[in-house]
Order: sequence, then C-alpha cells, then structure tokens
Amino acid sequence: MTTWAGCATCADEAMAARVLAVDGLEADVVVDGRVERVAIDLVPDARPGELLLCHAGIALERLEETE
Amino acid sequence: MRYVDEYRDPELAHGLTAEIRSLVAPGETVRVMEVCGGHTHAIYRHGLEELLPPEVELVHGPGCPVCVIPMGRVDDAIALAETGGLTLATFGDMLRVPGGRGSLLEAKARGADVRMVYSPLDALTLAGKEPGRHVAFLAIGFETTAPATAVTLLRARAEAVPNFSVFCNHVLIEPPLRAILETPGLRVDAFIGPGHVSSVIGTDAYRFICEEYRRPVVVSAFEPVDLLQSIAMILRQRAEGRCEVENQYTRVVRQEGNERALAAIAKTMEPREDFEWRGLGALPRSGLRIRDAFAAFDAERLFALPDARIEDPKACRCGDVLTGQLRPWECGVFGTACTPERPLGTCMVSSEGACAAFFSYGRLRRPREEASVGA
Repeated sequence: MTTWAGCATCADEAMAARVLAVDGLEADVVVDGRVERVAIDLVPDARPGELLLCHAGIALERLEETE
Repeated sequence: MRYVDEYRDPELAHGLTAEIRSLVAPGETVRVMEVCGGHTHAIYRHGLEELLPPEVELVHGPGCPVCVIPMGRVDDAIALAETGGLTLATFGDMLRVPGGRGSLLEAKARGADVRMVYSPLDALTLAGKEPGRHVAFLAIGFETTAPATAVTLLRARAEAVPNFSVFCNHVLIEPPLRAILETPGLRVDAFIGPGHVSSVIGTDAYRFICEEYRRPVVVSAFEPVDLLQSIAMILRQRAEGRCEVENQYTRVVRQEGNERALAAIAKTMEPREDFEWRGLGALPRSGLRIRDAFAAFDAERLFALPDARIEDPKACRCGDVLTGQLRPWECGVFGTACTPERPLGTCMVSSEGACAAFFSYGRLRRPREEASVGA
C-alpha cells in the first residue's frame, strides 16, 4: 500500500502482500518485492495468489481486488 | 505499481480538488481533523494542504501511537530493560522516545539489552532462541497493532514459552476521540477516520461521533486521491445536510470490522480503569491490560515496575498539538530545541507525528508563506 519507511507501530505501515505459499498458520508473502513470512491466524483460510493486508508480522485482512 | 499508481493519479486529484473548491463558500472555514498519524504523514508528504482551498483547514489528531505514550511509561520500559537477564524488544520508533531518564536507545548505550523487532512474534521467536534470557516485548499501538500482540500471547500460551512476556501499552481509539469532542471550544467540524484501525474495529465504531456530537466521519485510505476523495465526501455530507459515517476505504474496511481480530484482542486483553495519555491526561478505559488468564506473560505482574508518573517538559506542547489546538510550527521549541534528531516531545519522534511530518515536508513552505504575508 505504501512504499516509504514509515513507523511500524502506526496503522499506515500496513502493507498489501501477495500470498506465495501457505504453511499452517504461516504464509510466505511478497511485500514490496521482498518475501516475508507472516502469521495468518486472523485469516486462516488465506490461499496463494490472494492479497492480504499485513501489519507487524501478521495478516489482518484480505484486500479486495477491484479494478 | 498497482494499488498505488491509481491512487496517486494527478487527473483524479485535480478533479477532486475542483470538487472540494466547489463545495465551500469563500471565506468560511471548515476544520477537518485527520485522526491517524499515517494520514498526517501522507498529507505533508504529498503536499495535500497546498492543493486545498484556504477554506479547508486540516487539524492533526492524536492517532500516532508513539506520540501518545507518556514519559512515565518510557521510564517503566527503561527500568524493565535494565532488569538483569532480560532482553527488551520493541518497535524501532519506540527506541527514541524520550522519557524522564532518557530514551531506550540511551539505556541500550548504558548496557541494557534492548532490541528492535518488526513484530511481537519476532520477540517470541527470540525467546525461543535464547532460553537463558527473559524476553519482554514492549507493546504499543492502537487496535491495528493489538491483534499482533494478541496472536503472540495466544501462541506463547499454546507453546508454554516460559521466558516471554508483554509490557502492554495498547490503547483504544474511541476514548481520545471522545476527549477531543468534549474539549471546550472545540473547533473541529468533521473527522477523517483512521483506515487500518477501522479494518479491525469497523466503521460502526464511529457512529457516536455523528449521533452524539453531530460531526461527519469518513474512514479513509492513505494515498493522495483517497484523502482528497474523503475530504470531498465530508464536504458533500455538509452540503447535503447529512451527518454520517461513510467508508472511503471499501477495499479493506467493513462496517463490522474483523471479528477474528476483535475476538483475539478480547480473549487476551481487557480495558484498564484508566490510562495516561500524553497531552490528554488519564482517560477512563482507554488502555488495554493483559487478562488474568495470560498473567504468566504479563511483564507488569512478573516484574516490579516503578509505575513512574512524569510531567511533560513545560516547553513541549505535544498535548496541544495532539488535540489540534496548536499547529506544529506554533510550538516555541519546534525546529529549535526539538528536532527529529533530538526530539523533546513525542510528536517529533515518529515519522507519523505531526511535528516530525511537518519538519520533514512542510517547514520549507511555511516561511515563504509567512514572508509573503508580511511583505
């Protein structure tokens, strides 16, 4: 969502991340071109290809993809 | 870049700016408070104030979690960090927040084991890697960050991690909004609601602002077009005599919020009787503490913390900035005794703090304006 080095504690640091692979309650996601591992306890049915809103190492919500 | 470029489209922005101009009467003033520090940062970063007509004034609100942490809690965190055999882990921006005894970064320089993490889960992982040390996570943030702490507590209990705890300083968004709305002589006509906090708590959480205080609210995303559209939506409500909670950030935020996240918070944390806020004082039921069921992971119960109460420096007027009564450059120490390199107040620490954002992006413009007014 945002690309500047913001403050991790602030809501605006939540990033859109594309799911690459799911492993239990963890998922590998791509954020700003980097692969990161996030917890998906709050979005446990996340699937590869979906876009998630991630903050402080966990996925908060699905991002609705609309043109 | 998809999900960025379309929300920075200059043509869309100019169209919205024209609409905003058409919705205000010359000479009137409409004061709109953006609650979230992320919005404050985006407004200054993209120069949105310069696009708006002089009739629309943006007021920066209390939604930067770093900025509202009182100095006493920083001193408590320093005392915790100086406990033998303990590692204190926290977010990067918290390291520079000044308390009565300096900052956590200065405590680290004196020998305390203070480490920066991106997620509370990283702190839990650290505890697993260093079984000989106790790892305490200094948790701060609104409802956006609290779910990460909640998930970490749930995992810590499930995995029976013996050497991990949380020093909980999570806060809630409703109490400071009520405090601002109750401020005598309040001069805020409408609110831009926080985006990602709302992805957790939902838009219904702001209905009290319309129903009890008759101020419109538009929950907004963070890109320039998002913010301009939200301002236009506020002005449309005003023009049509409506007062509602509207959702501009429909691609993420739902009316009811995120039930799983709310349930995780409710399972692990509960409201404190009151919590001290920088600039706002003690607000009832505004902070979260760890529930009894998770007492084994509560740093406040495991360690004797001083519970320090420290008054803010007299010269620092963060409180007035946080409540929208003072603009950053009107503070006597702004840019002189208080800079991002050596912050006196919390609003200058985080990049989302109103003072730091204005220092980084807005201060070069202001002297020119004032010079031209004086000429």
